[in-house]
Amino acid sequence: MKRRKERIDRGVKARSADIFALTSYREMLYLLIPGAIPVVGLLCFTPILSDYWREVMISTAVYALLAMSWDMLMCAGLLSLGQSLFFGIGSYLAGSLNYYAGLPPILTMPIATIGGGVLCTVLLLPVLRLRGVYFAMVTLVLPLMLSRLVEATRILGGTEGLTGLTPFPNQLTALFVIQLALLAVLFGFRRIMGSDYGLVIKGISDNDRSVMSAGLNIYWYKTQVLFLGACVGCFAGAFGTHMDMFAGMPGFALDYSLMPVASAVVGGTGTFAGPLIGAFILVPLSEMLRALGALRIVFYGLFLVIFVVGLPEGIFAYVQRKYQQRERWVDIS
Amino acid sequence: MLEVQNLMVFFENALALNDFGMEVREGQVVGVIGSNSAGKTTLMNTLSGLIIDMRIKEKRRGGERITVYGKVLFKGEDITKTRPSERVKKGIVLCRERHPIFPESDVSQNLQMAGYLRKRSEIRETVKEVFDLFPALIPLKSRKAGFMSGGEQQMLAVGMALVARPQLLLLDEPLLGLSPMMQHLLVDAIKGLKAKSGITVVISEQFARPVLPMIDFGYIIENGMLTLTGTGSELMDNPEVKAAYFGI
Repeated sequence: MKRRKERIDRGVKARSADIFALTSYREMLYLLIPGAIPVVGLLCFTPILSDYWREVMISTAVYALLAMSWDMLMCAGLLSLGQSLFFGIGSYLAGSLNYYAGLPPILTMPIATIGGGVLCTVLLLPVLRLRGVYFAMVTLVLPLMLSRLVEATRILGGTEGLTGLTPFPNQLTALFVIQLALLAVLFGFRRIMGSDYGLVIKGISDNDRSVMSAGLNIYWYKTQVLFLGACVGCFAGAFGTHMDMFAGMPGFALDYSLMPVASAVVGGTGTFAGPLIGAFILVPLSEMLRALGALRIVFYGLFLVIFVVGLPEGIFAYVQRKYQQRERWVDIS
Repeated sequence: MLEVQNLMVFFENALALNDFGMEVREGQVVGVIGSNSAGKTTLMNTLSGLIIDMRIKEKRRGGERITVYGKVLFKGEDITKTRPSERVKKGIVLCRERHPIFPESDVSQNLQMAGYLRKRSEIRETVKEVFDLFPALIPLKSRKAGFMSGGEQQMLAVGMALVARPQLLLLDEPLLGLSPMMQHLLVDAIKGLKAKSGITVVISEQFARPVLPMIDFGYIIENGMLTLTGTGSELMDNPEVKAAYFGI
């Protein structure tokens, strides 16, 4: 008997795409539960953790924001290896506004977010026409260059950085601020990519010449995507600055570039939820492995290799498929 | 020489080839005629073994699941599970559709790369044969392949398959996107090839008009199913074929 495995949509998925979604609790729950998991998990679960783990959750959320910003750029085919550019610029902008002008965090963070977004977009505008590895190289080099610039010219505190900045009133406030931002970015970006605008963005990474032939200016769209991604990255930087009460050269560190990419790969690119899941696995994991000292890099690398080879589609895509489809053996005559 | 038995190929839940069987004798030119989405390319990929590679890649990506059932026999030997590179060494060479060439290299470099498995002297000899077969390529020898026209690239692609010295040459839609004049040129070249070196050729094509007169035996497939078989002239006289492919 010859058999093969068949993949079919679950009944509840087909039904919940229809009017049933409004009339049956089961179908309503099927649609709502995936969205409710991050909301409930972040807003209800993290506040009951210990102080130390709350701190870990905050830094995880910062990395998750950077990872989602990376994913947004990736959606338009812009492979970035320099998320630390966004982080560093946001961090320095918020830091200097607070340090020199004495503005409170409630003002510095929005200004650094928008201003940093504009600044980063302008910085990367000349290389927007480059694709793939060339764009990646430029984004990799820019943060390194800027950190050397700060070191050499001793502006903005030089190697010392800007210290003694205004902190958040307490840890819980910080936790809620970053997690609300995280949820807003997650659902916002997913909404954007689900709309017609998102179709154009996906089209650009798929086949940019066809998008040009459709009469759309792909560079204008790429600029917009870059601005969106940069804003999110700069927000993460501004937040991190007030969290640490410090803005300095570590903001341009390679960690902020590589961890987002790793998170997105582990979680599954192009989904935004994937990078979020990836960050929430990798950052706490690397925190737990801290006890191993230098050896943790080995485990960390091993973990990454296992995921890249074993599950290249990413955790989120895999889980999503299992949630929506089931498999069964069928006979073929 | 080549025998295909009860071949079934699924792309996830879609059936691309359904219980397909064919036989190719040594020295024959066999045509597989079918419209778009009939399963011609899937058949060619299965014969050349590329489908094995596709299956592994799709599986790792978590994409479409490709299932293959049935047997492919080459000279009496079951090669269903043989990898594409091994099949080339056995003498089965595929020229894929849409003329895949190395766009950054020039024509003679392309031909040399295609003959990588052969000895140096053999390559020189076969490259000369290719230029004899397609004289139009001679003035383009040092031109970058990516800048040539579609027809020239197609001639080069066929030439590259020939440099690998196949015993069984698989041509997947060699006439795709070529003008009637270019089609004529290529068909003549294939005819010349058969007369000169007597290699066995399987052509998949949707333009039946230029192909049917030159083939020894033809298979007509529709939606992955074999609908008609016969010699070239039999098929040409068949009223259904006339209606479907000649528009008469």
